[in-house]
Amino acid sequence: MQKGFKRKFEPIKILSSSQIEQIHSASLQVLEEVGFRYDSDKALKLLQSNGCAVDYETKIAKIPPDLIEESIIKTPSSFMVRSRDPEKSIRLGGNTLYFMNSAGARYCDVDTGIVTMPTLEQNNEGVIVSDALDTVNVFPSYTPYFEIKGVPPVMSCPVSCAQRMRFSTKPSRGAQPTDTFIWETQMAQAVDAQLMGCVEGAAPLSLAEDACNAAFYYLDAGFPIYIASGSIMGGSHPITVAGASVSHNAELLAIVVLLQCIRPGCGIIANNFVSAMNMATGDLNFGTVAVALHQMAYNQIWHSLYKIPINNTGSAFSNSKKIDYQTAAEKLPLAMCSALSGANLIVLHGGVTGELAYNPILAVIDDDVASTIGRIVEGFDINDATLDIDTIKEVGSTGTFLSTKQTRTLWKTEDYMPRVFDKTSYQEWLAGGQKTVIEKAKERMIDILANHKPRPLADEQDREINKILSEATKYYKKKGLI
Amino acid sequence: MSSDILNQLKDVVLEFDIENAEAVAKKAVEAGVSPLKAAAALTGAIREVGDKFGKGEFFLPDLVCAAEVLKKALPVINSAIEKNGEKANKSLGKVIIGTVYGDVHSIGKGMVATLLYVAGFEVIDLGINVKGEDFLNAIKENNPDILAMSALLTTTAAEQKNVVEGLKKEGIRDNVKVIVGGSPINQEFADSIGADGYGATAPEGVKIAKKLLGIS
Repeated sequence: MQKGFKRKFEPIKILSSSQIEQIHSASLQVLEEVGFRYDSDKALKLLQSNGCAVDYETKIAKIPPDLIEESIIKTPSSFMVRSRDPEKSIRLGGNTLYFMNSAGARYCDVDTGIVTMPTLEQNNEGVIVSDALDTVNVFPSYTPYFEIKGVPPVMSCPVSCAQRMRFSTKPSRGAQPTDTFIWETQMAQAVDAQLMGCVEGAAPLSLAEDACNAAFYYLDAGFPIYIASGSIMGGSHPITVAGASVSHNAELLAIVVLLQCIRPGCGIIANNFVSAMNMATGDLNFGTVAVALHQMAYNQIWHSLYKIPINNTGSAFSNSKKIDYQTAAEKLPLAMCSALSGANLIVLHGGVTGELAYNPILAVIDDDVASTIGRIVEGFDINDATLDIDTIKEVGSTGTFLSTKQTRTLWKTEDYMPRVFDKTSYQEWLAGGQKTVIEKAKERMIDILANHKPRPLADEQDREINKILSEATKYYKKKGLI
Repeated sequence: MSSDILNQLKDVVLEFDIENAEAVAKKAVEAGVSPLKAAAALTGAIREVGDKFGKGEFFLPDLVCAAEVLKKALPVINSAIEKNGEKANKSLGKVIIGTVYGDVHSIGKGMVATLLYVAGFEVIDLGINVKGEDFLNAIKENNPDILAMSALLTTTAAEQKNVVEGLKKEGIRDNVKVIVGGSPINQEFADSIGADGYGATAPEGVKIAKKLLGIS
């Protein structure tokens, strides 16, 4: 199993107990009085049988507070996601921090920032690079690219899933649109792995039919579920951090209720992907103060009160068009706030411009960023070996700690040495061709592509994947989508 | 038996066992192992450490600790060589090294000293905050092949020039090659004060030292 990073100190708390209670109570009130729209009669019937007041015309279920509280209690505080390689499985929850790859619609040129449709080969290379990076623990759906040249849009999720199965042994999140969960579930089962199923709400306060269908399908397969309700403050959520916290909380709790009614005790990780609106353009603003505070409040509530594993996506993207200082300045503070406030999973590697672009070179740089963040949350040990007063005495005021056993044996574990950040002297930098971090990351990427060989699928598994893709193509052709 | 002890000598270096270094060296001498072979085992092992450092497999603390092992073990073996009336392997050359007056930075200077030692030079380390007259006296006394000076501050870099000027005044400038280093130093500065060589990094300092003495 991938071990991730173990947080050794209490997460940062930005809310008081009474503030947590205010947000929680308001969330319950919204679900009881306004209700939540589930675009599925099957889901509504199940909720009705569990005590919800259902209006089949509006498809709104009003959820009693005690059902919500029961559902929270039924949700485990940690769960496994089994990979096709047991060493790459993960256990989400508790005080463990993992990182998830980011994604983008298209390939971003590092020199110009111009985005182009990636080829299947570029897609596969992106997967191989992330498979080699220790801090990419899990992939989301449609990773690394949403679009692939020559692949019909409706097939992009199944094809993307197939390529991840082929070129990585790490776990993946499934997708939910247009019945893609059928094919992704079948592919995972063909390689004897689990997916994190995906059930994403549509803010405000609703869950589309695809998402409801995905919930039943993924849970029937015995998979844990990743839930989300992506939204924008000032658009699909209130503009205030407090108001958006209530709306978002209510949406995710409504999904938790449905999942626990379908399969009591199922594993759930709840994602926070709330962004702010750029009031000049209406676009999404990434890496802003409001997003950071929203995530930190959310992490505190879900970690300390609900004890349900949490994911943060705020650091997945920047608004910068190129890999530059802005990218780091928008992604890093968000990722750090997430890590310190108790996130179990942080989306980070490779995402460049909004959700529009991706480049594996940034994923390589983000590997160093994630390692640095992870090591910080692991804290430091205080014991005989790390205190070692004898060594301090021995060195006195004239010696050096460089030649001590303590330095030689503990320097690697006491700090993290980034692999691609420039740590050379000025003279070495001049002599070495004045390389930037992007150039150094590109060198590491080329090295990975030349030398990293992901464990291949068995021939039979590969044939099965092709068969499933072929069935999916037929299915969508029949529906007139290809 | 002999090869066992030679392996033990090699191991104390490769395992950075400073505490047992002297004891293992004494054991080798008492067991009657050829002191020349014992010295070769130690220096071979330290070369291995140096090579791994050069390849990025070992790091500075490994190198420094291995050198500390050698500093404990080698004197014991060298005494045995002298006692036998034999001659220890000749060093590549004698180096006097120090951080100039007004400057108390020791890490970079220590690293260069260690790398020179590991490479096979005899190194006399005068320490930090070394006055110009102390450099000159040490040179007169020890007749080194190389003088290596470190300065980590722009304000103390000029002291390197003062020492070179002192060598000229004393008429001993041509007796010794002068290497300078430190973060504010560059080739232009080295040329301007009349130094013979400049190393941007510690490994480069060793290369320059070898080059100046015509060692390939």
